[in-house]
Amino acid sequence: MIDIFNAWVAMIPATLAQSLILSFVVMAVMLPFRILSFPDLTSEGSYPLGGCVCAMTLVAGAPPLVALLAAAAAGFLAGCLTAFIHLRFRIHTLLAGILITTMLYSINLRIMGKANTPLFQETKIFGWLADVGLTDSWVKIVLVGAMILLLALALNLWFLTEHGTAMRAVGANAEMAEAQGINVWGVTIGGVGLAGACAAFGGGLMAQSQSFADVNMGLGVLINALAALMIGEGLIGRKTIQRQIAAVVVGAVVYYQLISVCLAVGLPPGDLKIATGVFVLIMLAAPSLGLKRAGAQPKECFKE
Amino acid sequence: MLEISNARKTFFKGMPDEKVALDGLSLKLNRGDFVVVIGSNGAGKSTMMNAISGALLVDSGRIVINGDDVTTMPVHARARHVARVFQDPMKGTAASMTIAENMLLADLRQNPARLRRGLTPQRREKYREHLSYLGLGLENRFDTQVSLLSGGQRQSLSLVMAVSGEPDVLLLDEHTAALDPRTADLVLNATLRAVNALKLTTMMVTHNMAHAVEYGNRVIMLDSGKVLLELSGEEKARATVRDLIGHFSVKTDRMVLGV
Ligand SMILES: Nc1ncnc2c1ncn2[C@@H]1O[C@H](COP(=O)(O)OP(=O)(O)OP(=O)(O)O)[C@@H](O)[C@H]1O
Ligand SMILES: [Mg+2]
Repeated sequence: MIDIFNAWVAMIPATLAQSLILSFVVMAVMLPFRILSFPDLTSEGSYPLGGCVCAMTLVAGAPPLVALLAAAAAGFLAGCLTAFIHLRFRIHTLLAGILITTMLYSINLRIMGKANTPLFQETKIFGWLADVGLTDSWVKIVLVGAMILLLALALNLWFLTEHGTAMRAVGANAEMAEAQGINVWGVTIGGVGLAGACAAFGGGLMAQSQSFADVNMGLGVLINALAALMIGEGLIGRKTIQRQIAAVVVGAVVYYQLISVCLAVGLPPGDLKIATGVFVLIMLAAPSLGLKRAGAQPKECFKE
Repeated sequence: MLEISNARKTFFKGMPDEKVALDGLSLKLNRGDFVVVIGSNGAGKSTMMNAISGALLVDSGRIVINGDDVTTMPVHARARHVARVFQDPMKGTAASMTIAENMLLADLRQNPARLRRGLTPQRREKYREHLSYLGLGLENRFDTQVSLLSGGQRQSLSLVMAVSGEPDVLLLDEHTAALDPRTADLVLNATLRAVNALKLTTMMVTHNMAHAVEYGNRVIMLDSGKVLLELSGEEKARATVRDLIGHFSVKTDRMVLGV
């Protein structure tokens, strides 16, 4: 028992750093799904796209932050494309995302010219804090933590603006939003693009964190992100926009710790997908099993 | 204020079930007109409303609102001119957002969204006041999700949202038809108060002939996508329910005779 505990604690810095990077992808899943009512799978493709673009930009000699921004820009385009083919050709959002993800695999291969690119020589963004005297993992935690915090705060402010409110209206009732003068196409394309940018930024961070990019690095990232989102929403709820955004980060952190515990207990890595599936199932089944979910209050009934 | 000239709309063009919904419809509304629109099922009333709001683009013809040719404009570009209350209370509001946020969205119709704070204290105060005219107490449940409101309350909110910002044209398509009689009365009275107070140019579709007689300064009857009858001024004031129903039966006779 003590061994298991120690094994888990020893992994905390590494898994925490990982989970903060993943939280960008969780954000990328949450934004279209919860805010725009546009369930989207593009993250599975825009995440490795971000990794590949970031790697090639670094190799070309660009500074690490520029490489991350280039990754985000590429992800933005991918998201926009998914939204556009859904709107223009009336293809289901999930199918549109699968199409773009499939095509992105080839594009990612083209971008790198090979299946993976090592980045051991290049300066990474984590070099910024190289001299502070922190371990590698803690450098990542501080830097990525600050970035995701910044993103969460920025999104919080955004949804308090007129534009942000308009964006939420598109997800809540597109027909009504349009009747209030909101350009539903523009908002949807921009919103799903923003999500793509988040996922690709996360991919770029991951490439810099693990010092290589791989065309297959997106494999399964979507279901991980979804699991994290479900766990976060189960714990924090999604009654307000603040909770919805906090659920992203909390979910990512808790999910990775759960996985880490599974590993510490001695679960073979191959069985982790079952664990992930069970976590999602538990979170989704909790309400129907009568387990009260924090934050999700029962519907009140008002009399006129 | 609103001018429709020779509007045509055909559904399923060129197919066996081709349906002409607007057949060269022309209509002119002056500022402050309150037009009650009647006509049998399938006469083209909703299609006309959709054509004005932009939900449907006409095949030919022209629609001008307050001097702006909106014929080819999409819904969101016309929103500045046109506000609408649908028959279905669920359609006019965003259920997962609060009353206050919904009011803000209506505000964005006249003042397109910008990158600035949405629900400022001044705005909240203004919305509170607008809601209080309804007398439903909605102003005290400002931060309640709209999904928790009853159908009648939601429709009342839709109405307040539609008249806020004083649109050039207000479209009401059987907007009380889905409500129980008492609530329907309440919403209708709120409508009349707002339309009178703000002198809104209004088109109201109804199947209630008593309302057609009682309200508005004009009544038009649509049939097969055309204006079959139009009464205004003195004529409208003198019209009775019996007169209006008479016109429905003329139409049915004609159909029976096949002329
Ligand atoms: N989206 C559509 N696609 C195909 N046909 C349509 C569509 N909308 C309306 N129509 C047809 O156009 C004609 C006019 O319909 P419309 O809804 O305008 O009638 P209405 O006067 O509003 O009738 P009601 O009193 O029943 O609401 C009908 O024959 C209808 O079947
Ligand atoms: Mg109708």
